[in-house]
This record gives sequence, structure tokens and C-alpha cells, in this order.
Amino acid sequence: MTNPRPTDPQPTDPRRIDPRWTGPDFLLQLFHDPLDPGYADAARRKAERRASSAPPPAAWRRHGTLALRVVTLIATGFLLAVAYRQAVAAEPDRTQAQAGLVDEVRSAQTRTDDLQRQADALRDQVNRLQEAALGGQTQELRQIRELAAATGLAKVTGDGIVVTLTDAPAQIDPKTGKPADEGERVIDRDLQSIVNALWSAGAEAIALDGQRLTATSTIRAAGDAILVDFRPVTSPYEVAAIGPDDLARRFGASSAAADMRGLSGQYGIGFAVRNQADLTLPASATDVPLQYARPVGAGTPSPSTTTTPR
Amino acid sequence: MIAVLALVAGVALGLVFEPTVPVGLQPYLPIAVVAALDAVFGGIRAKLDGVFDDKQFVISFVSNVLVAAFIVYLGDQLGVGGQLSTGVVVVLGVRIFGNVAAIRRHLFRA
Repeated sequence: MTNPRPTDPQPTDPRRIDPRWTGPDFLLQLFHDPLDPGYADAARRKAERRASSAPPPAAWRRHGTLALRVVTLIATGFLLAVAYRQAVAAEPDRTQAQAGLVDEVRSAQTRTDDLQRQADALRDQVNRLQEAALGGQTQELRQIRELAAATGLAKVTGDGIVVTLTDAPAQIDPKTGKPADEGERVIDRDLQSIVNALWSAGAEAIALDGQRLTATSTIRAAGDAILVDFRPVTSPYEVAAIGPDDLARRFGASSAAADMRGLSGQYGIGFAVRNQADLTLPASATDVPLQYARPVGAGTPSPSTTTTPR
Repeated sequence: MIAVLALVAGVALGLVFEPTVPVGLQPYLPIAVVAALDAVFGGIRAKLDGVFDDKQFVISFVSNVLVAAFIVYLGDQLGVGGQLSTGVVVVLGVRIFGNVAAIRRHLFRA
């Protein structure tokens, strides 16, 4: 600060002449002399009173103003404390709302997992009962097992490949060092084309992020999320497929794989294929019985479906 | 000395009683705090300049807080509350800075 220290108004100061003077430019005056001019006026009045040897103010007056000052300062401190508490209290409100939502999502996920386990247990039970009803390992039972495995309603194991897709990393702004915008993302169509290419390359069972695909499975986008049979899947997306030994080569030769390699080179989307022995793919969680299609020659559909319709 | 004690007592009261601010007054709290700080720093500066006056201090505090809150209220009604708040903060901030600079010169001669 290089401006001269504002001292008592000079005799030529216009304020001496007119106490209502605010200067030619309020802002200039504000910068030049931030102290309220009232203090100078009060000091001058005091000095004038002393000079004119008027009687000093009464004791009650002095005490009264002192009390007022104390009250004002208490009010100031009170205001500061209240504002501080308010600012501190406002923060948790926001984070609490978010934490509440996160908790809700977590508990819903836990519930879903519990129900899934329950469904698996019931399915095992159904399998055992089927076996018992059919009287051991008969031809019919083997046929049922084969059909269940082929349609995705039974757990299967075998050698195959795992295709991994990942969203591109977020772009870093070189100036600020912060993520500038979100990177390119894998979309539902990428997953669809990969799954289709795997089927056409000879895959017999496919699971996307641990979700077994059936004949009626859907892969679709809902906003930014990708849903497989109405359950969300997130990056990295792992498409596991059981198929012939040369599945990786045949898939790699498909146009879908070529497209993904192009996206990978152009946008930084992660794309990897690896062979994996002893893959175990779960049973589909959505083995809803057919509601409209009827097997030809069997009359009505079998009532012994494993789940209740939704 | 009494002033510092009073200020500390006020903070203690605020922390002990944990008053809840009515929702309608909450937007004016920050601006009132800035206005109060302006009055307090003005008072300290005046004290160091040797021109402190109780009446001037009390009136500047009350009017600062009320006028600042009123301007923000008016701005809210007119739809320019954010801009007027900025204006109030700029003006009061300049004054606080100037007064603190003067206090600094008084205390450290620099």
C-alpha cells in the first residue's frame, strides 16, 4: 500500500465545510480512505467541545455508550458463531442426502444378491427333485440337462475366451490438470455386436459381466447405463464365452472385432481377448417361462416351470 | 480489553445456545457477517487512530448489517440477488482491506 495514511481531514478538506460531502467519486474515496467519515466527525466534535470547555458528558451517558459497545460486540461474536455453525451444518445436509441414496442402492443390491442365492438354491432343489421324480440318471434327465444348458437355464463349464471392454480413460486437460471431460464410453451396440460375433463364431454359452445370456436376453442402454436383462453392468465389461478351441481366432476375424480394434485405436477404448480354460458360466437369473410361444406337438406348455411368472 | 471479552462472550453464547436460524433469514447471514466484520475492523482502526466513538461504532454496525441484508433482500425480489450480494461484498471487502491495512501499519509500522 503506497497511499498516504489518511489522517485528520486537512483544513482544505471539503468535509470540513460540508459534512454531507461524499467526494466526487464514491469508489475513489472508498479506496483512498476506507474509514467511515463519521469517526472523524465525532472526533472533531469532541475536540470542539473540549476547546470550548463545555462540561464533559454525564456519567450515565458514558456508561451507556460503553454498554452499547459491549452489546454490539457480543452481537458480532454471536453472529460469527451462528454463521460458522450454519456453514458447518449446511455441508452434512448435502453429503447426507447423497450417502442416503448410496445406502439405499447398496441395500437394494444386497437384497438382489440374497434373492439370487435363494433362486440358485431353489434351482438346485428343483434339479434334485427332477432327478428323483425321473428315477435317477435316465435318458430324459440327461435331455432336460442338455436343453437347460443350451438355453442358458443351467450352469455350464468349459474352455473358452474372455473379451474385455473398458471405457476410455477421462481426458486430462493439459492446462488445469483436471479431467476435462469423460472419455469415450463403450455403448450397448458395441456389446451387442461382440455378443453376436461370438454366437456366430460358434460360442455355445455367453455371459456378460457374470450375467448369462439366453434366447430372450436384451442388451440395451438406459441413459448412461447399460442394462443386461434389466440389470446394470459397468466397465470393465467382461464377455465370457464357451466355444470351440479356435473361438478366439474366429472371433478375431469377425467384423465386430475389427470395429472394436478400430475404436480402440481411435478413441482409447480398451479391447482385449484372452483364452481361458475352465470357464464357469452361471445360469440365467431370468428364466421366465414362455408366455406366448407354444412348443409344437406338446399341447400346452409344461406346468413344471422352475419359477413363477413375473 | 472489554471489547475482546465481549466478542469472545458473544462467540461462546452462539456456540452454547446453538440457535437455529429461520430458513427465511439464512440467505442474509453471510452478508450480515461481512457487514459486521466491516464495522468491527472500522472500529479497531478508529481506536488505533485515536478517533474511536461508541455511538459511531454502534450505529455503523447496526446500519451496516441492516442495509446489507436489505440490499440482498431487494435484489432477491428483483431477481438480481446474486449480483447485488457481490456488489455488497466488493464494497465491504474493499473497506475491510483498507482498514486492515491501516491497522497493520499502526501495529507493525510497515
